Formats: sequence, structure tokens, C-alpha cells
Amino acid sequence: MIEYQNLFTRVQVHAPVDPGVPLRGGTWGRDGKPFLFYWAGKIGDAQIGPIYLGVTGVFSLIFGFLAFEIIGLNMWRSVGWDPVQFIRQLPWLSLEPPAARYGLHLPPLNQGGWWLLAGFFLTLAILLWWVRLYQRTRALGMGSHIVWSFASAIFLYLVLGFFRPILVGSWSEAVPFGIFPHLDWTATFSIRYGNLFYNPFHMLSIVFLYGSALLFAMHAATILAASRYGAEREIEQVTDRGTGAERTQLFWRWTMGFNATMESIHRWAFWFATLTTLTGGIGILLTGTAVDNWFLWAQKHGVAPSYPVQYAVKAEQAPYLRGQYMGVAPDSFPGMTRDAAGRLVPQQLPVPQGAQLTGEVEQFNKAVLSTVDMRDSLNLDGLFIMSAVYFDTGMDGLRRESDAEVTNLAGLMTQYPTLKVEVQGHTDNVGDPTANLTLSQSRADRVRDILSTRYGIAADRITARGFGQTRPAATNDTPEGRRRNRRVEIASQGKVMLTAPAADSTAAAPGTTP
Amino acid sequence: MITRRMMHAGAAVAVVLLAGCKADREIIKPGPKQAAQLGYRGVGMEVHYDPDDIARTAAANQAPKPLPPAPPGPPGQYQNVQVLTDISAAEFGRTMTAMSSWVAGNAGNCAYCHNTANFAADSNKGQPIYTKLVARMMLRMTRKVNSEYTNHVAGTGVTCYTCHRGQPLPNGLWFYTTENQILRHYLDRDDIRIQSHTIEPNNGNRTSIRQSYNTYALMVTQSKALGVNCTYCHNSRAWTSWEQSTPKRVLALYATTMLRDVNMNYLNPLQPVYPRSRLGEHGDAPKAQCITCHNGIYKPMYGAKMVKDYPALWGAPGWDSIKGPLDLSGTPLYDGTPLTAPVVTPNGARIGSAPMRAPAQAVEVAAMGLPPATAMPAVTKVPARPTQ
Repeated sequence: MIEYQNLFTRVQVHAPVDPGVPLRGGTWGRDGKPFLFYWAGKIGDAQIGPIYLGVTGVFSLIFGFLAFEIIGLNMWRSVGWDPVQFIRQLPWLSLEPPAARYGLHLPPLNQGGWWLLAGFFLTLAILLWWVRLYQRTRALGMGSHIVWSFASAIFLYLVLGFFRPILVGSWSEAVPFGIFPHLDWTATFSIRYGNLFYNPFHMLSIVFLYGSALLFAMHAATILAASRYGAEREIEQVTDRGTGAERTQLFWRWTMGFNATMESIHRWAFWFATLTTLTGGIGILLTGTAVDNWFLWAQKHGVAPSYPVQYAVKAEQAPYLRGQYMGVAPDSFPGMTRDAAGRLVPQQLPVPQGAQLTGEVEQFNKAVLSTVDMRDSLNLDGLFIMSAVYFDTGMDGLRRESDAEVTNLAGLMTQYPTLKVEVQGHTDNVGDPTANLTLSQSRADRVRDILSTRYGIAADRITARGFGQTRPAATNDTPEGRRRNRRVEIASQGKVMLTAPAADSTAAAPGTTP
Repeated sequence: MITRRMMHAGAAVAVVLLAGCKADREIIKPGPKQAAQLGYRGVGMEVHYDPDDIARTAAANQAPKPLPPAPPGPPGQYQNVQVLTDISAAEFGRTMTAMSSWVAGNAGNCAYCHNTANFAADSNKGQPIYTKLVARMMLRMTRKVNSEYTNHVAGTGVTCYTCHRGQPLPNGLWFYTTENQILRHYLDRDDIRIQSHTIEPNNGNRTSIRQSYNTYALMVTQSKALGVNCTYCHNSRAWTSWEQSTPKRVLALYATTMLRDVNMNYLNPLQPVYPRSRLGEHGDAPKAQCITCHNGIYKPMYGAKMVKDYPALWGAPGWDSIKGPLDLSGTPLYDGTPLTAPVVTPNGARIGSAPMRAPAQAVEVAAMGLPPATAMPAVTKVPARPTQ
């Protein structure tokens, strides 16, 4: 006979409210007068309260709120404080850990420092919550099973964000905060380390995860199916098997030849659930520390089967496939080499004549970019814009933070003596545009003078040019944006590439062909 | 016993299911999907495709008809010719006509690149004609690709039309902006590889997860550019393993090599030539990526062989007729045009919105993926030879 079932309980537990069992003593009383709530009664006990927060609970909520705010505000900032975009893009917004170059050092707040702070507060909140749960189990005279399961989950959390980053020496290895970003991290982590599904602890974790679901379904269905015979009184029936327990256990013996008891099924569930995160955490901990490529590990140990080679590599393809791509640093792309002019050309192919000095500029860029380490701030990304030097409103004196940029630039110009740069001055939009044009020129002049007088760079290698407020690098609507607009940028002059002498000195002059 | 509540629930479920089916029918076109097996059985290396999609994109990616062949003749009939020095005057004019229709919208749009009062000049009213200077460099690039990158373009080769599709700006141009970090890294300088070739961690491979995002994103870019999935090239269980990859992956590797050469040695050096409106936000020149030629298809124009009809674009190994640097003296670094709100192309590239200097007859920003539906007009009339 078909019977309609749904999510809701068929028994509304509706009894006089009960403050709970007397305790052996506590530091903080129970808060709130219990009351009955019909819809809670549809999915559980109708009684709401009393609640016990305790010192640990209060601080856990405070720290958790702090972490939540730090993450949320950083995400909001990342869309320029636009509330609509914040909602629309929320699933993709992220608070990223520091870049790899910071290692385990403390980065500036907007370079990952907020991530560290959010992680710190979130961890504190979670640990305090754990302490609270532990204390409550003690206060009620219960076993501590719940907190050890929870501890297993916390272990995985700490492995991902704390233990493993410390072992590999970089916070950048940790997981970003964000809905899709943390999923992307998972996929990328697996790709980087040669497929996590060959990690045996990952396999175990999945076994326990799927096993948990299976056990959950089998047990819950069994009890529901026999509840009309009182099988939901599980603990009673551990020792005093009623007809409900008799039926369910016979059912599984009939179908599997073996049955769990009313007590042991809960041990199965407890261990499967607890081991899911425990083994998962071990698997993550071993990745990048003990094993760097799980596929190769699996092949060595006979886990990953070998298949017949489908396609033969042709002889002329072989040099490209040497597998020497462990070199790592930029420009180690296989099959590429540098020609006499220093530009990157394919190894197998002849160097074209009339090579231009792009290599000089490219090397310069590479040196600069490695110096500033691909820093995230704008204007350092471009090939032609090397660095930015910042000013205060209306002033042409450099901000102290920019001294290093100028020193850095001077060093590079000394290192690459044929390189010429244009110093380009900019202002924000505060004040009169004409005055800003003059100001930007004086800012550019200032940097040029520093380069030539303090560092002895030949004056004919530096031109200074003011652009006024015409080329903002950021919005002028915020103080931060205006600060970024009050700047001087250094551009390697593109003409250098094209007017420098050719490598082939016997080359005919360009121009007319008869 | 079937209750009334159950019947209601059943009816609700049926409504939801039917609504779902109806929505599906509108999205998914009829016609059986096809699959081709690329790897050993059971490893899931398959390419799935829809014949209807192939038919539709094939119709939209037809190569234009070749112009009538030119009679043979001695080379070097024009002045100030720096690249096409080895073809006859008739072939030269034919090539110019074809280029005009491929790039400037129609076959008679000479003024897009030339001073029509003096075709040999590189300037007009004292101002350099940037389109001509760019075209000269692009001819060198095309010859180089056709002669020295046969490991990627094979005998099919490329013409201007492969990328331009009748429009001044090809698809998928990219700049050094934040959105294009991945392209900057890999189509310019950095290493793509992230996985170790030893089981144990080693100091040789310090690639971070952050860098790995870039490789992941670049691979997806390639996948989209070619309209194929990962297993077109890879066995997804071991991305690095060449032994388990298909030969297509080697072609893609050659393509990366080619693109680096093209971007670093042909497209980037044009930076001083362009007006500000053609440069990216950071003042860099537009650069090419996979989709620039491929337009979402695993072989551009499904392998139509255009270049065989245009000997001016062939080149030869080691060929480069220009023995010195291009003379760009007098070319301003920027034209001073303030950067206005940029146009964002569908694939995220930003292009300044200031108008072009030369009259453009086609849409400025090419839509990604699909070339114009109209076929290129067949050209029969070759413009008269310019007089000096």
C-alpha cells in the first residue's frame, strides 16, 4: 500500500516546558524562558530554550562576527563599495591569502593581512565554540563524542589554513575565503599536486564520506520503517529488544546476513563521520610536504594503471618534450632561447636578421618585475610602466614610501646603460587643470632631478613630461583613488626598441627600394 | 491508500517536470550529439560535438573566394616597398586589394592605410599613417608564421583574413590589464608548467597554488578558443604526461611558442606606432591569443587553405627582407588623446574608445567568436597602379 510521507514528524512533541536536568554546578545560568513553537515541533522538539552561552560562547560569537565582518567588508571593498555589485558578484568575491613572496611574514593589510586577521578571529571563534561544547558535555555528565567529532573537522580546517601553510612556508598556500574561490582553490590544489584522487588518504576520506551517507540512509530508513513498532526507542532496545528491533535486525540478516545492533550502528556512524575529516586532513597535510605529485606516487606504487601509448612522438617534436620544464623561472619555456640581441626566440628556428633591441627592454622589464615581484598594485603591471612614485596633494615632494621606487629605478638604469626612460607626471583632479599640468610637470622634473643629481644618471636618458589630470590611474572620487593618481610613472621609451642600432651592422638602411 | 494530499503533491511534481522539459527544449537543439574517442578505452578521452553546431559555425566561417591570379612579372616595381620586394607588380596590386577587403572592410578602401596622393609615403600631411606601419609589420609577421611556424600552421598557413575577418580589429586582442593576467604571463614570458616530475617535493618546483590558477585559466582560455574540451589534448588523470596526451597538445605547444614570438617581436614593438586609442590601459600594444585566429573552432575556418593563393604571404625560412629597423622617426609615442572610457570586448579585452584616425568601414570592435555573416565581396577590378 502506498503511503505518503514527508519531512515533518508525525508526532508533535508538545509537553510542559522543561528547564532541563539539574547540573552539578555551573558558572553561568541558563538564559531565556523556554517556550513552545509549533513549526519547530514539526521538525524536532517544539520547546525552544533555555539557551546557555557562557563566556566562551559570547567570545566565540564576537570573534566569529569580527571574522565575518572582515571577510564581508573586504569583499565589498573589492567591488568599489558598490552594494549592487556586492550582491550580484558575492558568490565569486574573495578574500585571498597573502602572495607567495610574503612567505610566513606579516603582509600589509590589503596584501593579505586582512586574510590573516580574519583567519585568526575565525579560528579563535571555532576553538572557543569547541571549548563551550566540551564544557556543556561535562556539565551534563555526557560522554564527549560530539566534541571529538567536531575536533576532527577542526583538524581539517587547521591543516588547510594553518599547519600545511606553515610546513610549506607560505600563507599563500592556504584557502581563500569565498564561495566559489574556495572551490576553485580545491580544483587548482588538485591540479598542482598531480591529482588529489590518487592520494590514498583522500581515497579513504571519500570512502568514509560516502560511507557516512550510506550508513545515515540505512539507519534512518530502518528506524523510520519500524517506528510503528517502537523502534525509535533505540537505546532501550539495545538491551531490551522489542519487536521493532527484532524486525529490523532480522531484515538486515535476511538481506545481508549480518546486522548491526541498536548500539553499534551509532559507533559505525560516529567513526565514519569522524574519520572523513581526519583522513582528509592527513591527505592534505602530506600534499606538497611528503608528496608533490600524487599521480607519479600512484604509478610507482601500482595504484594508477598504465595504458598502451596511443600516439608516437615524432622526432622533430622530441626537443620540445624533453620534460626539462622543472627549471621554473620565467623564460625556461622549452624550445625557447635568447638570440644575440637577447630576445626570446624559438630554439629550433633561425634568428631573423635585423633583430631589434627588444631584448634589452624585455630584460629590463623582467628585472623590474622580478624586483617588485609582480606586485598587485596598478601601474606596475604594464610592460612600459615600471613603477609609480606618489605625492601629497598640491606638493611635488615625494612621499617617503616612494624613495625605494626611485632607488630601484636608478639601480636598474645603471645596470642597463642603453635604456632611456620617460618620467610621466600626473595629478588628481583637485584644483585647476592648468595648474595641475604645471604641477605634474614639476613632479616629473623632481624625479628626473633626483635620478640625475643623486644617482648620476645621464640627463639625456631621462625626459620628463607632465600630463596633468588627464590620465587618471584610479577613480578621483575616493581619497585612496586620488592618492594613486598623484603619481609619477616611469615608462621605458618605446622608441629605444626601434631606433637602436640593428644587430647586423652591415644592414642596408631602410627606405626606398628601386 | 492514495490520499488527496498525495494527489496534489503528484500534480505539483508533474507540473514542475513538464515545465522543465519545455525549458530544455528551447535551449537544446534537436539532433543527436556525436562523440569521438581520442584515447585508450575507458579513460574518457572523448570529444563531444553537435553536428548542427558544426554546420552553423562552418557556414559562418567560410573563407572568401580567392582573387583571380596575377600574371607573372619582375619584382620591385614600386617605391618604398620594404617587405613585398620579391613579387611582381601585378601580384603586389592583387595582394593590396585582398588586404583591403580582408582588413579594411572592402576592396577599395586604400585610404585606410595609404596617402592616396602618394601611395609610397608613410605619412599624410606630416603625420605618420600608423595603419600602414602596422600593416608592414603584419606582413613580416605573416611571412614568418607561414614560413617558419609550419609546425603549427602546416600547409594551411595564415592570411590577414584568418584573424581580421574583414574587420580592422581581430578578435581577442588583449592588453596588460588585470583581467588578462594569465595571458600576460604565458603568451609573453612565464612558464606554464606547475606539476612536479618527482614524487617528492623539490626545490626545482616552487610553483604556488596562485600560479597554478593562472595555468588553469590559460588552459580554459585555449579550450574556449578552440571549442574543445580538456581531453582533446590531455588525459585528465596526468596533465603533464606527454605519453598520455594526444598529438594536438604538441600543436598547442608550438602555438604557444609562435604566439610568444608574434607578441614579443611583432605586436609589442608596434607600441610607439599606435595612437593612444589603440593602446591598452597601461599603454601597451594589442596582442594576440589563440582565439584571435581560431575564433572558437579547432582549426581556423575548418582548415580552409587560403594562403596557397597568395604567394606574397609565403615568405621562406629565414626570410626577412628588412635589413634594419623600421624608420619611425617623428612618430609620436602617444598622440596625447586622453584615455576615455574603454570599450570592453566580450572576452574582456579593453580598447580605448577614441575614434580611429583613418576611416574605418567596418565595426571597430569585433564581436568574439563569430565573424560577420556576410561573405566578402568578390573583387574583380584591380585599382590602377599608383603614379609617383
